[in-house]
Amino acid sequence: MSPPDDIDLTRPQFIGAKVMRREDPRLLAGEGNYVADIKRHGMLHIAFRRSDHAHALITNVDVSAAQAMEGVVAVYTGADITRLANPYQATSRMKNYQATFIPPLAVDKVRYVGEAVVAVVAISRYVAEDALALVELEYESLAVLVDPEEALKPDAPKLHDDLESNILAAREFARGEVAEAFADAAATAGGRFHFTRTTPVTIEARASVAEYDKGTRTLTLHCTTQIPGIVRDKLSEIFDLPGPRIRVIAPDVGGGFGGKTSLYSEEIVACAIARDLGKPVKWVSDRMEDLMTTGNAFDEIVDAEIAVAEDGRILGVKADVIGDVGAYSIYPWTATIEPVQVVSFLPGPYRIANYAARVRAVATNKTLTGAYRGVGRPISVFVMDRLLDMAARKIGMDPAEIRRRNLVNDDEFPYKAASGLVWDKSAFQACLREAADGIGYDELRREQAAARADGRWVGIGVACYAELTGVGSRIAVAPGMPINTGTETCNVAIDSTGAVTASFGLASQGQGMETTLAQVVAEELGVKVEDVDIVLGDTASVSHGTGTYASRGAVFGGGAGILAAKAVHEKIVRVAGHLLEAAVEDIETGNGDVRVKGTDKSMTIRDLARALYSDMGRVPKDMRDEIDNLEATKVYDPFFGTTTSASHMCLIEVDPETYKVEIKRYIVVEDCGRVINPLIADGQAHGGVAQGIGVALMEEVIHDKTGQVLTASLVDYVVPSAVEIPSIDVVHVEAELPGTVGGFRGLGEGGTIGAPACIANAISDALSPLGIEIMEIPATPERLFRLVEAAKAD
Amino acid sequence: MKPAPFDYVRASSVEEAVAALAASNGDAKVLAGGQSLVPMLNFRVVDAPLFVDINGIEGLDLIEEKEDGGLRIGALTRHFALETSVSVRDRFPVLHEAMKHVAHLAIRNRGTIGGSLSHADPAAELPMMAVLLDAKIVAAGPDGEREIPAGDFFTAPLTTVLAPDEIVVAVDLPGLPAVTGWGFEEFAQRRGDFAVAGVAALVTREGGTVTNTRIALMGLHDTPVRARSAEAAFGESGIEAAAVAARQDADPMNDLHGSADYRRHLAEALTRRVLTAALERAAQ
Repeated sequence: MSPPDDIDLTRPQFIGAKVMRREDPRLLAGEGNYVADIKRHGMLHIAFRRSDHAHALITNVDVSAAQAMEGVVAVYTGADITRLANPYQATSRMKNYQATFIPPLAVDKVRYVGEAVVAVVAISRYVAEDALALVELEYESLAVLVDPEEALKPDAPKLHDDLESNILAAREFARGEVAEAFADAAATAGGRFHFTRTTPVTIEARASVAEYDKGTRTLTLHCTTQIPGIVRDKLSEIFDLPGPRIRVIAPDVGGGFGGKTSLYSEEIVACAIARDLGKPVKWVSDRMEDLMTTGNAFDEIVDAEIAVAEDGRILGVKADVIGDVGAYSIYPWTATIEPVQVVSFLPGPYRIANYAARVRAVATNKTLTGAYRGVGRPISVFVMDRLLDMAARKIGMDPAEIRRRNLVNDDEFPYKAASGLVWDKSAFQACLREAADGIGYDELRREQAAARADGRWVGIGVACYAELTGVGSRIAVAPGMPINTGTETCNVAIDSTGAVTASFGLASQGQGMETTLAQVVAEELGVKVEDVDIVLGDTASVSHGTGTYASRGAVFGGGAGILAAKAVHEKIVRVAGHLLEAAVEDIETGNGDVRVKGTDKSMTIRDLARALYSDMGRVPKDMRDEIDNLEATKVYDPFFGTTTSASHMCLIEVDPETYKVEIKRYIVVEDCGRVINPLIADGQAHGGVAQGIGVALMEEVIHDKTGQVLTASLVDYVVPSAVEIPSIDVVHVEAELPGTVGGFRGLGEGGTIGAPACIANAISDALSPLGIEIMEIPATPERLFRLVEAAKAD
Repeated sequence: MKPAPFDYVRASSVEEAVAALAASNGDAKVLAGGQSLVPMLNFRVVDAPLFVDINGIEGLDLIEEKEDGGLRIGALTRHFALETSVSVRDRFPVLHEAMKHVAHLAIRNRGTIGGSLSHADPAAELPMMAVLLDAKIVAAGPDGEREIPAGDFFTAPLTTVLAPDEIVVAVDLPGLPAVTGWGFEEFAQRRGDFAVAGVAALVTREGGTVTNTRIALMGLHDTPVRARSAEAAFGESGIEAAAVAARQDADPMNDLHGSADYRRHLAEALTRRVLTAALERAAQ
């Protein structure tokens, strides 16, 4: 696929430039405007009484004492919210899928620890929390399901009485002749992999401020969401209000990582209460609430096996995935999003003719799982790239070499992967090659041999992946889900003061989109980057938009921004042709000016805007009627989306006494197409790898047998800090550009996708003299200690 | 995560603070640096009707050099002051090293020595240093001051012998013998976290022979403790024997950050490291 002919790729002035992030001075100086900063006259505060039972019937709710407390304005139960908000669920057209209703406040039954049961509204958060203790709740305990393998049994107690079982989704994939492939294999390898549950920890926890204007009957919700458009559309149904009377705004948001891509109960409750009381209300999650209730991630058990030929060729792969999705099927993504992606992406960037996989998404008495940076793919890559290393060890082949032999080659694109996904051309082999060159792979192998001779546990990790980014309308981000994630809108407008504003349905959580999208629009319009204002995260600014998730910001925002800016550029050129008395082909823009090529005739775009809008007579009426204004709205649909690929390599050393893993070198070589801003692209890789390191070595949400969350503080849920993150080399391979408008590929999630597998492979490599394979992460010192003790005992 | 209502008194003298504590029938809490207390307050783990703020008391933040080579350290001395004190670095290099491991800089700027000792976290550096260095903890109560040997001060996790109306005002560290080498090792997966396990050692040599050995453990018992059997084994049979014996001195818990087995393993590994380092330093 080559880029459309009418997109000019030859004059990058700003695209590819290291433009400093324009949002940083504001955010770093404490001048950002976060939801918690919002104050309104007469604003009330909400605190939630949450379930301390994982599974129980609610037999009695008595809020009278709380209600009577001084400073308490109102107390809401599940029954109250049922009266104020229509029920909703995440539907899907996928076969074998069962949707669950998600009550914003629990009604009759609680299904996980932390589920909101009662909302207290008071004059301050202090008073609201004091009153929580006065809410009297009585429960009758039910059997708690924390083990998904127990929960999927036919005779297991059901979390949702109206469903057939706890299996919320099931799907199978098959290609080729897997049994034969395994029969013909020179070697097979595999086992049970466990990728534990994590949670996307953001600096800013979730928060909402809801206001209802009785006069105009308009609801405004400021919240920390990544998906303002999706939230607005659903609130419209939940509250029977037309779109124009609901405005959802995501102001400055301190990190999302997928955790803020779902509709949350607290957002609905805040809106219901604001509308009911006619008063502004605020809820700001504390860290404990955030760790217990923000959509958790991953949590899969994968039984997988690989068959290889003597020359290292992959003959076949089989996998059986059990995803522990928690208590409800999350809106809008459904319970399918994480586990089904595991099997869709498991074949990865490799040539695999024979593949059989099954996946089941199982409800348990835990927090809902949702999207987290990488969604499914961190596990796919962990399993697939671990399998490759295990197979390579069996046939005595180097891990980099077995990948070189199996990665799809440049002349094989577009390549239809075993699960049916189609990879457009991406630099699979070049990434591997450059990563090996960049880290000095062969030299590291020599150093490793010397270190091993000294009894040191030094290991080298390799992992390769491919992902679909900027996924258009042809395929949904989650199979069969009820919303369109395949288009995005941009409006570019030059107003009567000559100022440029570009508005998007996207929302920013710190990715630097105010900078990168301004670069893209400025490039196309021929104005200065600093003269383009970017509006994000406000449903009032475009008629349809969903938000920022699934590595789509650059592809969709960049694409829609180029299309809209191009349309405005055409208008500018036409008006300029008249004003400068030249043919439109001779007009060019740059630096905020319009010029007649090869002459000194020019004017500013600002003056051109004044001529069109204000100085009647300078532009004739028939031209004004035709042009209307210097504004255009464009919707971009990349249809298929595009492939982003990368190779990660690292060098680690395990301390043989404390079992601490030190990451000594790390390199990422990725093909994210045309790089808009290398500073920001590098930052995305750095941040993603940092989170991947947390997932690989530290982070785990732990529930006890009764479903209590043992990791409800940042003392016990361990995320890496700056000190634990090594220096990370990032190389961007701008190979052949994809067919997306602008030639961009998405890159937000890649770091997290590659790092867990890369590090797990490195640790396995380091401990290979002991015969240890890392099958479960995080590979904490405790787990490594137990593996080594067991290996020594053998 | 907001605290329940409470009363607040800012004391300007030790006597005033003690009187306020005594008047509260044992329900009041002392507020010093607030680095453990305030989070517990916000989590509503601690619910006290009265907080007695001692930050306004003058003269409690001194580090005084003693003639025996020791130091008197006032209870309101901040961790950062101790970490950067030249007197501490010169007289107790092991303490100087340990202070670098106390949480993070922002916490070290506010947290106090008296607060850390009174809080008595078994995985914290200062209580363990007090035990290692044979510190005397000076507490003031309604009947005046008393000195409590560090070895008797800690009774259980987050529990000390302090009466509800007593506050720590200072800690006395007796001087170390001239040729004393030291070692300190702490293991935490993340820099600044509470130790999964930590071991410190002091080895004194006179004329080429080891005359005194002290080994202390943190995160390995319900209080910081001296590793008596490891100390004895070291004197009799050397480092290896001491490291193995340290496993017996440890009586660790299972928690999210490490099993008892892993912690015993760390006790052995870290004891080996600190004794090796201490011996080397004592030889210099």
